Amino acid sequence: MAGITLTVNGTRREVQAPGDTPLLYVLRNDLELSGPQFGCGLSQCGACSVLVDGKEARSCVLPVSRVAGKEVTTLEGLPARWAGQQALPASEADPALHPVQQAWIDEQVPQCGFCQNGMMIKATELLDEVPAPTVAQIKDAFMSGASPHLCRCGSYSAILDAVQRASILMAKGR
Amino acid sequence: MATATRHGRDVYGATLTRRQFVKTGGALIVGFSLAGRSVLEQAAEAAASKNSLDPTLAGSWFEIHADNTILIRTGRVDFGQTTAHTAYKQIVAEELNVPFEAMTAVVMGDTDRTPDGGFSAGYLEYGGANLRKAAAYTYQALLDLASSTLRVDKSQLSVKDGVVSGGGKRISYGDLVRGQQLKLTIPVTGDLTSMFGLTVTGTPPMKPTSEYTIIGKSFPNAVTPSKVSAKEVWVTDVRLPNMLHGRVVHPKTLGSTLVSAGELNKTRYPNAQVVVKGSLVGVVAPTEWEAIGAAQQIAADTKWTEWQGLPGDAQLYTWLREQADWKTTPVSKSDKSRGEVAPALASASKTLSASYELPFMKHAPMGPTIAVADARTDGTVYIHTHNQNPQALRGQIAMMLGTSIDNVVVRIYAGPGHYGRSNGGNAGAEDEAVILSKALGRPVRVQWMRPDDLQWSTQSPPAIANIRIGWDADGKITAYQADHYMPAMQDDRLVGALIAGLPTPPPPDIRPQAGSIGSTVNGISDPWVYDLVPNVAESGYGTFQLGQKASPLSIGLRDHSMRTPGQLQQNYPRELAISEAAALAGIDAIEFRLRQTTDERLIGALKAVREASGWQTRPSPHPKAAASGGTPVSGQGISVMLRSGTYWACVCQVSVVPDTGTVKVDKYTIAVDPGIVVNPLQLKRTIEGGALMGLSHALYEEMTFDQSGVTSRDWRSYPILTMNDVPEIKVVILNHPEIGAYGGGSEAANALAVSAIAGAFLDATSKPARRLPLKAAYVQSVLKA
Ligand code: FES
Ligand code: FES
Repeated sequence: MAGITLTVNGTRREVQAPGDTPLLYVLRNDLELSGPQFGCGLSQCGACSVLVDGKEARSCVLPVSRVAGKEVTTLEGLPARWAGQQALPASEADPALHPVQQAWIDEQVPQCGFCQNGMMIKATELLDEVPAPTVAQIKDAFMSGASPHLCRCGSYSAILDAVQRASILMAKGR
Repeated sequence: MATATRHGRDVYGATLTRRQFVKTGGALIVGFSLAGRSVLEQAAEAAASKNSLDPTLAGSWFEIHADNTILIRTGRVDFGQTTAHTAYKQIVAEELNVPFEAMTAVVMGDTDRTPDGGFSAGYLEYGGANLRKAAAYTYQALLDLASSTLRVDKSQLSVKDGVVSGGGKRISYGDLVRGQQLKLTIPVTGDLTSMFGLTVTGTPPMKPTSEYTIIGKSFPNAVTPSKVSAKEVWVTDVRLPNMLHGRVVHPKTLGSTLVSAGELNKTRYPNAQVVVKGSLVGVVAPTEWEAIGAAQQIAADTKWTEWQGLPGDAQLYTWLREQADWKTTPVSKSDKSRGEVAPALASASKTLSASYELPFMKHAPMGPTIAVADARTDGTVYIHTHNQNPQALRGQIAMMLGTSIDNVVVRIYAGPGHYGRSNGGNAGAEDEAVILSKALGRPVRVQWMRPDDLQWSTQSPPAIANIRIGWDADGKITAYQADHYMPAMQDDRLVGALIAGLPTPPPPDIRPQAGSIGSTVNGISDPWVYDLVPNVAESGYGTFQLGQKASPLSIGLRDHSMRTPGQLQQNYPRELAISEAAALAGIDAIEFRLRQTTDERLIGALKAVREASGWQTRPSPHPKAAASGGTPVSGQGISVMLRSGTYWACVCQVSVVPDTGTVKVDKYTIAVDPGIVVNPLQLKRTIEGGALMGLSHALYEEMTFDQSGVTSRDWRSYPILTMNDVPEIKVVILNHPEIGAYGGGSEAANALAVSAIAGAFLDATSKPARRLPLKAAYVQSVLKA
């Protein structure tokens, strides 16, 4: 079992795991991150989503060996990622929350909240590419990727509100 | 530990005592005593038993601290409706006259840290009522304390923001309790580990609802920031020292017993172990990935008996009609049944007679069930889980192990919502984790995989209903007859215990057996709202769960309550049939309903939804309705419901492409009158969520099964609503504080969707679709008929 080096939320980490271990189990069990969740293990729901080099990926089916040398961002890493994108000095960056997370609070999106990791990751990917998306573009984003992003609690309409709010917050550079 | 003084002060039947003076801090702690037993007896008992609630400390309802902060404890677990973190705080703050922000902590669910037990349902009806009363006692006790401290008569005192004033003097609650350990013991009744838990009794004076200032405001959920910033400790995050990861290889069918467990490939899985108990086959390993791989290998090599005891989904409704035993179980009649239906139907100017069908549906939480169990050598068992009735689970685990509930502690964490599935204590993995932990002497984390969750959990039961309606020339209903058929739906038994052959409560039988509230009786769950109808006969017929008696494991298709249990199954046929009757009568479907009722709140909700939805007042079907063609046709539908004191009216506008059989919901409008609105923002979000789950039920959801078991195994074979299907949603909240009570039941939003959508389908196509879900193949068959 060889050591694998990957960059998670800006930090280089070395893990001892078989290369075919899905990234999700490495993130949760070895690195003790709690953002990505196990929803299906089948790439069908999005609960486990992370950003790999800025693109949303399903960590439940992604062998850890495939992300060696790549940049993995989890929910925990969104605030620092935002600060980096703003090129803010550390003192001025609000380290607590990414605008997407703030919008999720403002709009009181979560019901149980179990799916929301993937929803916020997907929203972040979208807003990086399309800063002011239309409702149709937002819907398309959550239908795209390996599968539609699923929420059993039916928070979809709250998510539509929150993505639009996040877009405004980001335009303000907050 | 100081003992309670014998000379407590009586507060409307509660008892206030000072346990001791303390140098720092101080608190008023609100505990309970079971009616009929003295405070001292209760305290002595608690002290003697190491794990049961110490009513003087851990199991208190509230703690009022010297720094003016307040801690709330509730046995009811919030599953994302936010009630415990918003409404409960508002109820307590209101009754105590303290700011919302004074409530700094909510302890929820843990069996050794909360007082009352009970299920995650009827949050406001039961749990909210308990907290309100407990707070009312506490308020009186605080006034008494202030009166003696300030030497001002109680009647002269008033409280604002946690500060008591009167006679020119003032003191905060914090200062009142400073330097003392005070205890208020309030009277309760009930059984902690029963489904309902404990109920606060007595009649302390309560704040008139007309004076409410905190209830009715939109407070945010305090848990949301930790959930969106990955700071929440989810059940999926529980890691205990020395813990093993476990997977369970479930039997081949819902009635298969173990012939032989597979042999572990030690070369590939050197650290894994197999545990067999009865027909339960568990696989554990130090890492999750090894446990998953080893479980797959074992599953492929394990031999089971065959079993085919189910009708299969294609035969479901025929089987329910022709084979199910509806005769053994006592028939239920609604309390609104009256008059003589048969002659009224015979003399009606027109009648409708139709049958309606609903499939099995899954709770289908976003995360499969998971639990960590720690069975220790001293005989105690700790279970870390996400469950809607921790005290009931505690009771069931004790029964499974043949031990006292004092040896079992259940701790609760955030997890995926599962909408009623575990309100009798069984989410799924807890008992399996306990069995494996006990066998191995180490903590074990059992995570079900997606197929386990869809195939081995309980489901919402299917139903059929025969409805007959007769009306006169003025469009007044003269007779309504409903015969509802549904298998039992409250099977609380631990599934791992059943597979392992360990003790469980009995399965639902024709009447509740000792240790179980479930029975096969199909009660009338959908309150009748059309009070002008002179002749009404509503009957409920129940039967056993499909395959359960025949299964050697006593499993078969186990059912459990889901969201609007039973009511969905009865409201959908009622409301669709009434829309069909309105169409046959040539009367607008809202107008037709208004003619059958004098209930002002129902009328208000109907008118509000009519106005907000852009409803076209006209008879159905739509003038351009079509049952064929490739161009979309559109229609509107209405449904109403009374649930837990709350009135609902819902309008859906849909478009249908007849040739492809596609149904799309364009707009969903709902009006809700709960009486007093506790928290408008949270109510709106909960309703939106319910609405979308209802769309999912209407358009997609149907559990598939063959003769051996459930064939829905993932999100492809059990599809649910996606972002693409989200319509315009409008929520109209009607605040009626003069009602003087807050209704609950916001999950009703899901049940209203199905009949409103089916009504809109009728309007758009002129054909009734009397079976859910409205999938393309079924829709096409309806339109071609
Ligand atoms: S858990 Fe990875 S997509 Fe569902
Ligand atoms: S908020 Fe519960 S699954 Fe999305």
